[in-house]
Amino acid sequence: MKTPLVGAIEIALALVLSIPAAAQAGPDPRALEEKVRALEARQAESEEALAKLRAALAAPSSAASPEELQRRLEALEKEQAAARAALEALRAATSRREPGPVEPTGLVPKSLPLFGSSSEVSSGTSFNPSISVIPDIVWSRDDVKGEAGEILEEADGFHGAHAEEGHDHGHGGLDQGFNLRETEVAFTAAVDAYFDVQALFAVSEEGIEAEEVFFQTRRLPWGLQLKGGKFLSGIGYANAHHPHQWDFVDQNLAYELLLGGHGLNEKGLQLTWVPRLPFYMKVGAELLQGENEKLASDVGPEVLPGLGEEGAPRVLTAKSGPRLFTGFVKVGPDLGYSNALQVGFSLASSRRHQEVHDHDADGIPEGVLDGTATLWGVDAVYKYDSPRPWGAGDLVLQAEYLARKRDLDVLGTTDTAVFRQDGAYLQAVYGLLPRLQLGARWDVAGLTNERVRGGAKTEYDSSSRFTAALTFNPTEFSRVRAQYQRAEIRVDGEKESWGRFLLQLQLSLGAHGAHSF
Amino acid sequence: MKKTILASALLAASAPALATMNVVASTSSMGVLATAVGGDAVRVTVLAPPDRDVHVLQARPSMMLALRKADLLVAIGAELEIGWLPAALKGAGNAKILPGSAGYFEAAAQVPLLETGEAADRSQGDVHPMGNPHLYLDPVRMARVAEALAERLASLDRPNAARYRGGAASFRAAVEARVPAWKAKATGAKGVLLFHKDVNYLAALLGVPILGYVEPLPGIPPTASHLRELTGRFRGQKGVILFTDFQPGQGPEFLARNLGWPKVRLPLEPAVGATSEEYLKLIDRWVDGVASGK
Repeated sequence: MKTPLVGAIEIALALVLSIPAAAQAGPDPRALEEKVRALEARQAESEEALAKLRAALAAPSSAASPEELQRRLEALEKEQAAARAALEALRAATSRREPGPVEPTGLVPKSLPLFGSSSEVSSGTSFNPSISVIPDIVWSRDDVKGEAGEILEEADGFHGAHAEEGHDHGHGGLDQGFNLRETEVAFTAAVDAYFDVQALFAVSEEGIEAEEVFFQTRRLPWGLQLKGGKFLSGIGYANAHHPHQWDFVDQNLAYELLLGGHGLNEKGLQLTWVPRLPFYMKVGAELLQGENEKLASDVGPEVLPGLGEEGAPRVLTAKSGPRLFTGFVKVGPDLGYSNALQVGFSLASSRRHQEVHDHDADGIPEGVLDGTATLWGVDAVYKYDSPRPWGAGDLVLQAEYLARKRDLDVLGTTDTAVFRQDGAYLQAVYGLLPRLQLGARWDVAGLTNERVRGGAKTEYDSSSRFTAALTFNPTEFSRVRAQYQRAEIRVDGEKESWGRFLLQLQLSLGAHGAHSF
Repeated sequence: MKKTILASALLAASAPALATMNVVASTSSMGVLATAVGGDAVRVTVLAPPDRDVHVLQARPSMMLALRKADLLVAIGAELEIGWLPAALKGAGNAKILPGSAGYFEAAAQVPLLETGEAADRSQGDVHPMGNPHLYLDPVRMARVAEALAERLASLDRPNAARYRGGAASFRAAVEARVPAWKAKATGAKGVLLFHKDVNYLAALLGVPILGYVEPLPGIPPTASHLRELTGRFRGQKGVILFTDFQPGQGPEFLARNLGWPKVRLPLEPAVGATSEEYLKLIDRWVDGVASGK
């Protein structure tokens, strides 16, 4: 009858004896390296067997005779020494490998010594992009018969620019009752050694929209990165956040009314630079096509009827892109492990902004405007990371201010119209209990809200809103949120108030990537 | 004359820079390895504070700052830092240290992992299908990682190669000197009830069985029914409940009270800037914890 000990010896011997055969390596260094790894694993196992054997020798109750065990131990040790020598030789052979004459040095990652695997242990399925799907289900009930979103769009000073008729942003208007908002479907992968690509589609019941499809460079020197395609601009703080990253169900008023529900989401190129400094700083510049309805709308070419009976036709010309330029800087001092702060400044300038307003009964627009627009903003984010479990005690304070100026010619007249408007929000999210967050937000649009036309200044009142949200995250991958908000929107000088209750369920399927600061 | 100036300028430019290597460690245990291997030849920055759960950390600008200046990133890997390290890397814009480059080093890629090949099914909690990433409480695996790290540092900084290999060898020797005492101490331990799958490697090294987990599923806080079930299952047996500083204490306390077992709460990671001696002392404390379940 075999004792377990004898079995262990046999296995160990078999392993050690199989080593010389395995050591006859082929010429391929990768195969060689594989073999070395296999050998190492085997050697570790035989070492373990040896240790067991030694322990058995030390123990008096061993089944086999001590002399017999001693003999086997010596034999094993001899074999192992030989195997170790073979391993050393192999190791030396692999680490001395020179790059072949047809291997360009930059392209193939340099051959690393045996132990220096630079691979990442990852469950991303081989060569397929990482895929994530984020459904977003919202139940809504407001006290104005479902008109809350429409009232918001009529806010004094902000309404009226219908550059693209019938275009519906999926984030603002919600039906009373159940809503299926855009499902985010994202594919991400490294294309090759030089580029990462992200393709993110917003899938709604109406269709599919390419929300972000861009490449980003991996290998530029000096802390430079180039991004190109369609993407969320790096201006501000909230702009680059997708709806699933928002701390509330809806976009803040400043972004909603000055940039639209999606923020500044454009086609173009972005160059960022992170210099080597004692503090974190990122500087970026963007060349964008300029299609944002509220900042860089290009309606032309279009010939619209003149004003009145004898008015000359009003002509909107087309301008080739890029029409919108942005710049931003973000600075983050090192505040240790528990605190983090980032402040940013952004600027956007559009060399073309056209608006067509207020069609009358015959479909003739009353206002046709053509000119330029600029926007600037400041943002600040502070985060406190508490050691308590599952986010309890964590605090995030976030504030932004955006100001927009539109400098437009009123076509068909000799007037120019200058619009100055701004918006801001202030929000706090606190980890009340593990996995449970309480958020509060105050947002306002139109603290400055004026139009100067032909020397005459018209001022409008501001619209504001208060929102509270309770968010429960059963895991990192699911989220249930209850939100109540109360808004006071100025429409034609009158105060229109509404309240709205929202319930949201957000689910994150698949390999969802890490979120930036 | 001009030629000599040019030649000396070229010489100065090509002379090996004796500047210290900037090593960024994702956690303080990886920082211990970098310090043990690199000594004075490396400057080590640690990204994650030792008293936080690395699963749920968020990327901070200061991480990006450190990564921007890094020559080498030493991570635990196996997707443990997936929630923040990729974002911090992206924000840093440092091509040298991206996965696949010579400046990226992941401990999980250097040693065989436990619990590999589990189904990638999140209904089973926050699972790591590529294996359990919490290898840092296994000093034997850490010694092997240190050797791999020494080779990597040697390849990046040839003049100091001998020093790196020496550092790894003395770390290994220090570990090997203690292993017999650790094993002896844990002999006869009946088993450990862990909060999370974070002490599995040490338990495997000591040959002590893992009885169960206070979490019903990885990443899910303990529920009353799960705690009752554990109490029912282990009543009358012997063992110890082990958990760490950032894990809530109510569950372990309930179990300790109802089972009459000791409960031991210890830091999972050594302090930032800890020496290898301090790391091994932390392992001593964990071994004492495991051994108290007799």
